[in-house]
Amino acid sequence: MKLGRGSDDARMLADSGQGVFPESWAGPWQAACKRIAEAGYGAAVYDAYRYNAPKIAELVGPQLAIGLADRVSLIAIKASCRAAEILPAVAARAAVRLNRDRGEYAAWLQLMERLAYLAPESTSMVLERMDQLLSRLDVSRLEAWLLAGVRSSGSDAQRRRAFFSFDDPEAARWLDHESGSLVFSDISDQLKAYMVALWGQPVPLRESNSITTGQGRRRAGFGPGIAFIPSTFPGFIGAQAEALFQAVVAHIGAHLQYSGNRFPVAELKPLQVALISLIEDARVEQLAMRDMPGLHRLWTPFHTARAAGAVTAPSLMARLSRALIDPAFKDDNPWVCKAKAMFYRRQQEWENPLISREIGGLIGNDLGQMRIQFNARTYVSEPAYRDDNLGLWDFGDQEQAETLETELLFDAVDIEKQEEDDAASPDREREEQLETEEADANRVSFSVEDEGGIPVARYPEYDYLTGRSRPEWTTLVEYAPPPGKASMIEQILETQADMVSRLQTLIRSARVSRPQKFYRQPEGEFLDLNASIEAMISRRVGEPPDTRVFGRTERRGRDLSVQVLLDISESTSDRVVGSNARILDLERQATALLAHAMAGLDDPFAIAAFCSNRREQVRYYRLKDFDKPYNSKAMANLAGLQSGYSTRLGAAMRHAAEALKRQQTHRRLLLVVTDGEPSDIDVTDSQYLVEDARHVVHLLAMEGIDVFCVGLDSGGDSYLTRIFGRRNVVQIDRLERLPEKLPMLYFRLTA
Amino acid sequence: MSLKDYLITDEPYYHATGREVAHFEAAYADRMPIMLKGPTGCGKTRFVEHMAWRLNKPLVSVACHEDMTASDLVGRYLLDADGTVWHDGPLTLAVRHGAICYLDEIVEARQDTTVVIHSLTDDRRMLPLEKKNEVLKAHPDFQMVISYNPGYQSVLKDLKESTKQRFGAVDFGYPALDVEARIIAHESGVDEKIAATLVKLAEKSRNLKGHGLDEGASTRMLIHVGQLINRGIPLAEACDIALVLPITDDHDIRKALTSAIAACT
Repeated sequence: MKLGRGSDDARMLADSGQGVFPESWAGPWQAACKRIAEAGYGAAVYDAYRYNAPKIAELVGPQLAIGLADRVSLIAIKASCRAAEILPAVAARAAVRLNRDRGEYAAWLQLMERLAYLAPESTSMVLERMDQLLSRLDVSRLEAWLLAGVRSSGSDAQRRRAFFSFDDPEAARWLDHESGSLVFSDISDQLKAYMVALWGQPVPLRESNSITTGQGRRRAGFGPGIAFIPSTFPGFIGAQAEALFQAVVAHIGAHLQYSGNRFPVAELKPLQVALISLIEDARVEQLAMRDMPGLHRLWTPFHTARAAGAVTAPSLMARLSRALIDPAFKDDNPWVCKAKAMFYRRQQEWENPLISREIGGLIGNDLGQMRIQFNARTYVSEPAYRDDNLGLWDFGDQEQAETLETELLFDAVDIEKQEEDDAASPDREREEQLETEEADANRVSFSVEDEGGIPVARYPEYDYLTGRSRPEWTTLVEYAPPPGKASMIEQILETQADMVSRLQTLIRSARVSRPQKFYRQPEGEFLDLNASIEAMISRRVGEPPDTRVFGRTERRGRDLSVQVLLDISESTSDRVVGSNARILDLERQATALLAHAMAGLDDPFAIAAFCSNRREQVRYYRLKDFDKPYNSKAMANLAGLQSGYSTRLGAAMRHAAEALKRQQTHRRLLLVVTDGEPSDIDVTDSQYLVEDARHVVHLLAMEGIDVFCVGLDSGGDSYLTRIFGRRNVVQIDRLERLPEKLPMLYFRLTA
Repeated sequence: MSLKDYLITDEPYYHATGREVAHFEAAYADRMPIMLKGPTGCGKTRFVEHMAWRLNKPLVSVACHEDMTASDLVGRYLLDADGTVWHDGPLTLAVRHGAICYLDEIVEARQDTTVVIHSLTDDRRMLPLEKKNEVLKAHPDFQMVISYNPGYQSVLKDLKESTKQRFGAVDFGYPALDVEARIIAHESGVDEKIAATLVKLAEKSRNLKGHGLDEGASTRMLIHVGQLINRGIPLAEACDIALVLPITDDHDIRKALTSAIAACT
C-alpha cells in the first residue's frame, strides 16, 4: 500500500502545502511526508499527518509542522499506530487551544513524546481526551496530571490504563486538583481549625472517597466523631467554594453538637427518612444560629430554590429547606406553608431532636397524600452544603454503621430498602446483596492483613519533575510494634558496657543549648559592669580589687530532643559487608547504646521504625515516645523489630518530624538510621524518592529541625549526601565506629 | 525617702471573679507572699494594683527579664564625683519603706537572681545587703507578690521548688462570660451587647488553644477590640487589628479565626 502511492502523493503534497509552506520549506515538507508514507504505519496515519500538518503550519509555523513528523513516527513506534493516527489532529486543536504559542505548543508536543515513553498503552486514551484536558489545564499542569497518573500506578500498565481512562476516581480527583478548583486538601488545615473554633471539639475531617451521589453531585457525610468532606464541589469556584466548605463544616458541627442519638430507621419509608433529615437539618441550624447569628450569612446564600416551577418532591423539599432558614423567603405552596408553620410553632421545643421525627413524619404523610413521586435513588439533599444525612440514622446493625467506611454500606442499605418499597425483581435484590457481601468479605480480609494498623495521617510527596508537592499522596499507617525480648537489649548493653560509658561521656560533653551569659569571669568578651564598679570601689577603698571583671556568653548543658528513625526495610536483613551481623542487628545495637546513654542523661528522645508497602501504606512503629520512659517495654519493642517491605523515607520523616515539632527544646534533631536508597515497589524512577526525601530535609531545616543520617551502607554515599547534605551523613559499618562518629553529629549541632 | 510616688490614688477597676480579694486580704494580714498564676492578659497586674489601692500601700513593680542580676533588684554602689554612693534597687526600696513588691513574670529572671527573695519570703523577713554591710529588716507593711504564667515557657524555665513553696497562690482564669462582658464594657466603653459578642468570639479563639494557638484571645485583647470599635472602626476590622493579626502568623488559623468571628456576629 505504502509503495503504491508515491507519485500521487508528491502531487497532492504540493497541493495541500501550497500557500502554507513557503518555497524554502517545500523540500523538507515533502521529505517528511515521504518518511511517514514509507514507514509502514498505515494509510490512516499518513492521511492524518498530511491533512493536519498544513493547519499546524498556519497556526504555529512550518518548522513545527514538519517537526511533527518525527513525533508521529516516534509515537507510532513507542505507543501505537492508533495514537500516531490521532496525534496530528489533536496537535492542530492543541495549537489553537494554546493560543498559537510556539513555545507552549513545542512543550506540549514534547510532553506527548514523554508520555509515549512513560505510558505507551495509555497514550491514545490521553490524546482522545486532550480537548477536555487542555480546556482545564495548561501545559505544566497537564504534565503534573500525567505524572500523577504515572506515579500512582508505578510500573503497573493495568493501573495506568484505569487512571487515564478515568475509571480510577483518582484521575478525576487529580484533574480537579491540577485545574485549580479549590480542593479539600488545600484548605483542610483551615477547616479543621474552623471546626475547633466554632464547636470547641476537634473533629477529624477526612476527604471522602470521591463518592458521587445521584447526578454527579457530591455531599459530605459524618459518623460518630468524624466528618467526611468531598474533595471538590464542582461548579463552585474561588471564594464561593471556600465559603461552601466552611458551610459544610459548620453544618456538620451543628449536627455533632445538637443531633444527639441516631434515629432508628425501623419501618420508615425513604421519603420519611429524607423529610425527617430535612427538618433535623433545619432544627440544628436554628440552634446553631441562636448561638452564632453570623452563620445565617454563611448558609442562606446557598439556598437558591425559587417559589415557582414544577411541583416535584425534590423541588418542594428544596423550597421547604429555604423557607425554614430564610425568613425573607415567601412561598405560597400550601404544603411548604403548613410545614413551616408547624416547625416554627414548636420553636420552644427545638432543643428536642424528637420533634424532627414528629414533624418530618407528619409532613411526609401530607406529601404522600398529594401523590407526589419520590425517588430515593436520585434524591440528593439540597443545598450543596448539607450532608447526606446518613450519620443521623441507625440502620440497625450498629457495628457496621460505626465503621469509618460507612458510605458503601449505607448505599447498599439504601438500595435494599428501596427495592423492598418498590417491590423490584428479586434477581436485582440478590445481586445487590451479593455485592454487599463481597464488600464485607474484602473488608475483613483487609483488616486481617492489616494486623491492626491504624491510618493516622496523609502526607504530600514532592515530585522533582514538576517541582511541586502532591498533597495527601502517601498514607501513614501506625502499627503496634511486635514485642521481642527485652533481655536481648540488656545483653547488648552488658557486652558493650565500656561503649555505653564512652558514649555517655561524649554526649554529656556536648553543649547544645541556648547561649547563656556568665558574669565575673577572669576573661571574656564583654566587661561585667557590676564587677567593674566593685573593682573600682575596692581600689578607692584601698582593698585589692577582684580582677574577674569580664563576662562571656557560652553554651552549657544540653537542651536537645532527639527522634531516632530506623529504616527496617527488607534490605536490612542483609549481612553487613565483611561481617556476620545483619544490618538490622547493627541498627538495633547502635540504637540500644545510644538510647541507653541518652536515657541515663535525661535527654528527651523517641524511637520509631518504618518501612513501606506502596504509597498507601507507609508503616510506622513507635518504639518509644518522648513522654514515655525508656523501660523494658521500649526495649522489648526495639528487640522485636523485623525486616520487611520497602523504604519510603520522605513520608516517614514527615511523620517523625510531627512528634519532634511539639518538643520545646532549643534544638531538635531527627536522626535517621538507614541502610539503603529510598525505594518502593510502586516507584520506578529511582531519583523520585531521593528528591522527595531531600525536599523534606529542606522543609524541616526551615522549621528548625536538624536532620542527620547514619548510613549503614558504605556504598550509599552519593544518594545519602544528596538527601541530607555532605556534612550531615556519617557512614558506619561496624558498631565500634559509633563513638568515633557520634561527636561529629553533636559538633554539627553546636557549630 | 517615702514612696509617695508609688501610691495608687485612684481606684483601678477590677471585677472580682471569685473570692480572690478576700483571699488576698487575708494573706496580706499575715504578709504571706503570694503568687498570681494565669494566662496572659487575664488581669493579674490589674488585680495587684487594685489590692495595693484597697490596702492603701505603695506598689513597686519590676518586670523581670533574662539579663536581670541580683544587683538590679537589690541595688548597687555607683560612682560620682565625691566617691561611691549606694543606690537602693526596687526590691530594697520596697523592703525599706514598706511597699508591696510585685515581680512580674518571675520565671523570666534567672534562677540565681530569684534566690535573693528567699530570705524575704520566709519568717526571717530580712534582706542582707552584703556590699553595704547591712542587714535590712523588712518594714512591717512589706509584702512580696510575683506573677507566673506556667503555660508558654519552656520546660527549662521554671521556678525552683524552694522558691515555689514559699508562696501562696491565686489562680486566675478568664472570667465567666457575663463577668468578662461587663469588664470589657466598662474598660472599653462599648455597650454590653457588643461586649457579649466579643466574649463569644473570644471563646471561639480559646477553643483553638492547642489546635494552632498557644493561647486564646485575652480579656486585654478584647478590651483593645472594644476600644477600636468605640473609635468607629467596624467590628470585623477591629477584630482583625486587635485580635486575629497579633495572635497568630499562621495563614490557615487566621482564616479560620476570621470565619469563626464572622459566624458570631
